Amino acid sequence: MNRRESLRALGAFLAGSPLLSDLLPGQQDVVRDHSRVPGLKELLTAFDFETVAYAKQPREAYDYRAYGAEGEFTLRRNREAFDWVELIPKRVSSGAMDTSTEVLGTKMAFPLLVSPTAGHGEIHPEGELATHKGASAASGTPMILSNNTSFPFDKVAAAAPGPMWVQLYPKQQLDANRTYLEAAQMNGARAVVVTVDQQVSYYERALHDRNLNPGRGGGFRSAAGRVSTNSNPYRVGDNRLWYEWKFFDEIRPFVKVPLIAKGIVTPEDAKLCLEHGVDCVYVSNHGGRSLDYGPATLEVLPEIVDAVGGKAPVIFDSGIRRGTDILKALALGANAVCLGRVPLWGLGSFGAAGVQRVLEILQAELVQAMRYTGRTNLASIDRRMLLTNFP
Amino acid sequence: MSEAPGRITPLEELVSAFEFEVMAKRKLDSLTHALVQAASRKPFERITLRPRVMVNTTKLDLTLELFGQRHFAPILIGPVSELKRFHPERELAMARGAAAAKALLVVSDHASSPLEQIAPLCTAGFWYQVYADTDPARTRKAVAAGAKAVVVTLTSGGMDWAAIDRLRVGVQAPVVLKGIMSADEARMAVGKGLGGIVVSNYVDGPSDGLAHPLEVLPAIAEAVAGKIPVLMDGGLQRGADMLKALALGASAVLIARPAVWGLAGYGADGVQRITEMLQTELARDMAMCGKPNLKVVDRSVVRVHKW
Repeated sequence: MNRRESLRALGAFLAGSPLLSDLLPGQQDVVRDHSRVPGLKELLTAFDFETVAYAKQPREAYDYRAYGAEGEFTLRRNREAFDWVELIPKRVSSGAMDTSTEVLGTKMAFPLLVSPTAGHGEIHPEGELATHKGASAASGTPMILSNNTSFPFDKVAAAAPGPMWVQLYPKQQLDANRTYLEAAQMNGARAVVVTVDQQVSYYERALHDRNLNPGRGGGFRSAAGRVSTNSNPYRVGDNRLWYEWKFFDEIRPFVKVPLIAKGIVTPEDAKLCLEHGVDCVYVSNHGGRSLDYGPATLEVLPEIVDAVGGKAPVIFDSGIRRGTDILKALALGANAVCLGRVPLWGLGSFGAAGVQRVLEILQAELVQAMRYTGRTNLASIDRRMLLTNFP
Repeated sequence: MSEAPGRITPLEELVSAFEFEVMAKRKLDSLTHALVQAASRKPFERITLRPRVMVNTTKLDLTLELFGQRHFAPILIGPVSELKRFHPERELAMARGAAAAKALLVVSDHASSPLEQIAPLCTAGFWYQVYADTDPARTRKAVAAGAKAVVVTLTSGGMDWAAIDRLRVGVQAPVVLKGIMSADEARMAVGKGLGGIVVSNYVDGPSDGLAHPLEVLPAIAEAVAGKIPVLMDGGLQRGADMLKALALGASAVLIARPAVWGLAGYGADGVQRITEMLQTELARDMAMCGKPNLKVVDRSVVRVHKW
């Protein structure tokens, strides 16, 4: 071994030494820092997609979608509520499995839609185009496009053949709603979803991680409530406090498709929806991102279904992760359920293919859950298949 | 919190009362911190709020009147003795912070600063807190200095209604009994012509096994039937906690520990900030429940789950 070779050997030895890697922070250690991103086929439940999506997107993009309002009591309760409902197995059933349904004129192979969520471009370069492609490929799952989409409605609609609905945050200038809704309907929106909750939102945990994402949400000052553009002296942002029921009466003339109110969690408001010509009640607490210490959506679903009394379909979101969750919501009276974070985990992990796969997993889980409970079609799903123990 | 241990985060970066407690813990020795340790969340987690939509809440108004005085919000700062234990500027910083947040301060008779110095700083008003054995001359002096009410903290035993009657002799201000936990005593207080009550389970010692004020509040509010103000204290750390108390019949709430956390960590600025933060949380939660003012806050705002 000559001098050059021995130096090289020493260098290689040092490079592999844990002592050196401690001296050089940021240097990868091939043994200790080993990591492997699982492939699409290895992911078996919706939960498996979350960690992969987490690994593949910027931390602040993940955080923004993962976190709930304030202390996240309601975010946690949304999931906990599914444990308060149990399915009763039934061994004997008849007929071939049929999960198809029709909600507000939109036919679907499964009672499942993609909830409106903002800014898919932040977690995948193809953004909503990929989400729509993936949803469409999963037996034509309808997609509700967010008002805060990264790509315009016409582009997303053109990306895949599946049905699309459009979501609106009310605008105080009536004409702004008209322009937006008319364009979406012209490009094929089959229903209009008006989000009525989240009048004031406050994501505290994203701000806890202050060392990670100092820019999110307008910075600490606004988060600390010192914004003073308000009509009130209590430092509450007032850009959505003007909402009133008459808004539905005002936009009705330019909505030619079914009109849906999203964010209903009380029977009183469900009845008011009907009084104001709303065609469908969308039970949601914005995935635990609206009022913290509000109820889980599942625990209020039965009383809302009772209040609506079959006069309009009821759709449901916030917390669904499994086929059994879907079945529980259907059995408590929902006509269909929507998924917010789950398809985002699919998108963030494997783009359109991930969206398709994660939706297909939930569809398959729903079929399996229906088999276990002896149900072969949606009409046979009712509260008699449940034991409920809401606190 | 993703902070280096021991670091005191700049005040404007704190996002909740709980973060103030962490900062107070870093500032105080462990025995002093134990005096103001955060209370259990359990009593408040048994109640959920009922969000309502499409209600115009642009004109949010949390003001209320107590004993002839208008208050900015139904959050008052409760009495804590000897604030020198928590911050060198003592009651003076507490009073300045409370005033800056437009909140009334209940000044303890066992203060570490003279009342003549505290009183002029309380621009949003102050009440004076005493015990059954406090020299009546001190109470009269506090009222003369501008106290809008006198709060008598009830301790375990050694107190009867005759003693309370004696306390009130010559006091030209409403007397508020703090520590009421039953409808019977609340009715008695109304009958005796007291100014108000504070539903509170504060005891000077271990309080394990005691009912939480939130549990007895509805029955007490029903018994009092609006004849006198019913206030509540005990572990309120969120605007949502306060909205629950108001919905179950409280006219206003007192915060003590959170104010001390603000004081310990940041002096007057901390008291101001944490008080404002809680005012904002309460206002936000009222807006989300479709209640733009206190007159419309009622039982329909909450659902009480199994205890």
